[in-house]
Amino acid sequence: MDTVLTTRHLTKDFGRLRAVDDLSFEVKRGQVFGLLGPNGSGKTTTLGMLMGVVNPTVGEFSWFGEIPNHHVRKKIGAVLEHPIFYPYLTGQKNLELNAMIKQCPEENIPGVLELVELADRRNDKYKTYSLGMKQRLAIASALLNEPTVLILDEPTNGLDPMGIAEIRELIKKIAANGKTIILASHLLDEVQKVCSHFAILKKGRLVHVGPVDDVGKGAETVEVKADLPDFTEVLMQFPGTASILPENGVFLVTLREDFHSKDLNAFLIERGVVANHLVTKRKSLEKVFLEILSEPR
Amino acid sequence: MLHLLKIDLKKLTSYRTFWVVCGLYFLTIGFSTASGMEFLKWLANTFDKFGSSLNIDRIPLYHFPDVWLNLVWWSGFFKVLLGIMVVISISNEYTYRTLRQNIIDGLSRWEFLASKILTNLLLSLISVVLIFIIALVTGFIYTPEINWNYVFTDIEFYPAYLLELFTFLSYALMLGIFVQRSGLTIILLLLSYMLEAIVKANIDDYFPWLIPYFPMESISALVPIPFYRYAFQEIQDYVDPAAVAIASAWMILFNYFSYLKLKRSDL
Repeated sequence: MDTVLTTRHLTKDFGRLRAVDDLSFEVKRGQVFGLLGPNGSGKTTTLGMLMGVVNPTVGEFSWFGEIPNHHVRKKIGAVLEHPIFYPYLTGQKNLELNAMIKQCPEENIPGVLELVELADRRNDKYKTYSLGMKQRLAIASALLNEPTVLILDEPTNGLDPMGIAEIRELIKKIAANGKTIILASHLLDEVQKVCSHFAILKKGRLVHVGPVDDVGKGAETVEVKADLPDFTEVLMQFPGTASILPENGVFLVTLREDFHSKDLNAFLIERGVVANHLVTKRKSLEKVFLEILSEPR
Repeated sequence: MLHLLKIDLKKLTSYRTFWVVCGLYFLTIGFSTASGMEFLKWLANTFDKFGSSLNIDRIPLYHFPDVWLNLVWWSGFFKVLLGIMVVISISNEYTYRTLRQNIIDGLSRWEFLASKILTNLLLSLISVVLIFIIALVTGFIYTPEINWNYVFTDIEFYPAYLLELFTFLSYALMLGIFVQRSGLTIILLLLSYMLEAIVKANIDDYFPWLIPYFPMESISALVPIPFYRYAFQEIQDYVDPAAVAIASAWMILFNYFSYLKLKRSDL
């Protein structure tokens, strides 16, 4: 797998504030890379540096192994923060202008407008668009030059649930075509649904980076319920039980390593206990995220 | 290069304010330079009413070669309108944050600046060509006896006029890039001559030799006031090479400062 993006010790100071602190990570081809972090943790500043609008104080980065320059940026489609277009130009004219800047053929315009379902509004001025339409036009513009890398910064900000679902589907569709996507977001559910890898930023520092699949690993937790007065006792006798936490009438059983929910189920049947509720709980990204952020550093 | 100019024109040609301001500018310089004779007639009429007479045939406003300098000097006053248009164009890029998006989309900072500079050059060139044509036509209409030796004399004021406009627009662009807000920039642009005049008045007693080096002064010195020749028979019918050198230096500096500022700032 070849490397799309490498950053080394990337740092940005705004006066006395250190917005991004010694950031080093890699993004490989085909990854959907989620960049997570609370508001003000340096996500947008990082992407701004990668796209040449913010000058790094210290450190360097490379796209496709090249020293960054404006020709490389033409191969990347990016939407940072909110959509930006000329309000007095129509959607079509805005895209024509972008095609000129990116030096890609204007013939790509109808296709991307179709993809984001804006074809019938293309001759209306940008300022008459709703927020969802603006977001979609921004994605259309990012896709215009058939980029190999797509950078999206909070692409579902301010959208209604339907719009969020649409954009999510769009991202999955684009990722299925083998494009590398870097997605900054604080909607963890979204990242877990679409990303293959993720990094967490906290006050400009990189506190975690790894594949999303790793999130579910580690100790398993089982949610179990049975109509038995001394059910806790029974659970305690199971050799794989690490801890039991009663919650709203069910018991959250954290298992020891190498024990799984099916072992617990077999044990209960052996004891003649029939559970009327048994669910394996995967750790959510949200939980991991909150855990990592609450760790003092 | 042409590609960059096209990008900037694409932004401007669908922008109504651009057509209004530029339309006003070109109509004003066009009509005012073409109708000087009508003005003189009106003046003579007014004189008549008060019992004195003015022989307008003795004022060679549109005679070759005077017409070249006269029209260029007069239309130079209106360059501030073009300057305002340049300020609006650049400060829009900051307020809409489209400058940032242009860079993200793949323009280099230098290319972005070059697209603006090329538009400045184009606007200056159109002004020069327009005034040249008007001077040529009115010259042939009003010059009593065409002497071909004089028709194209003094035409060197046209390159000087081009430099005057382009240097001023470079100044307006730089001001816009540094201040970034259109209102404040326009006020500063309008006050530039006055602020410079105050400074000049104060240093006149101590360092008078410094005066020609001031930016606005050097821009004005490119095309000298023509009417002295009628009043005092004192004629400067050439472009002062020193003025050209100083104005060119400012022109390069203005654009260089714009570049430095753009290169260093976080957008």
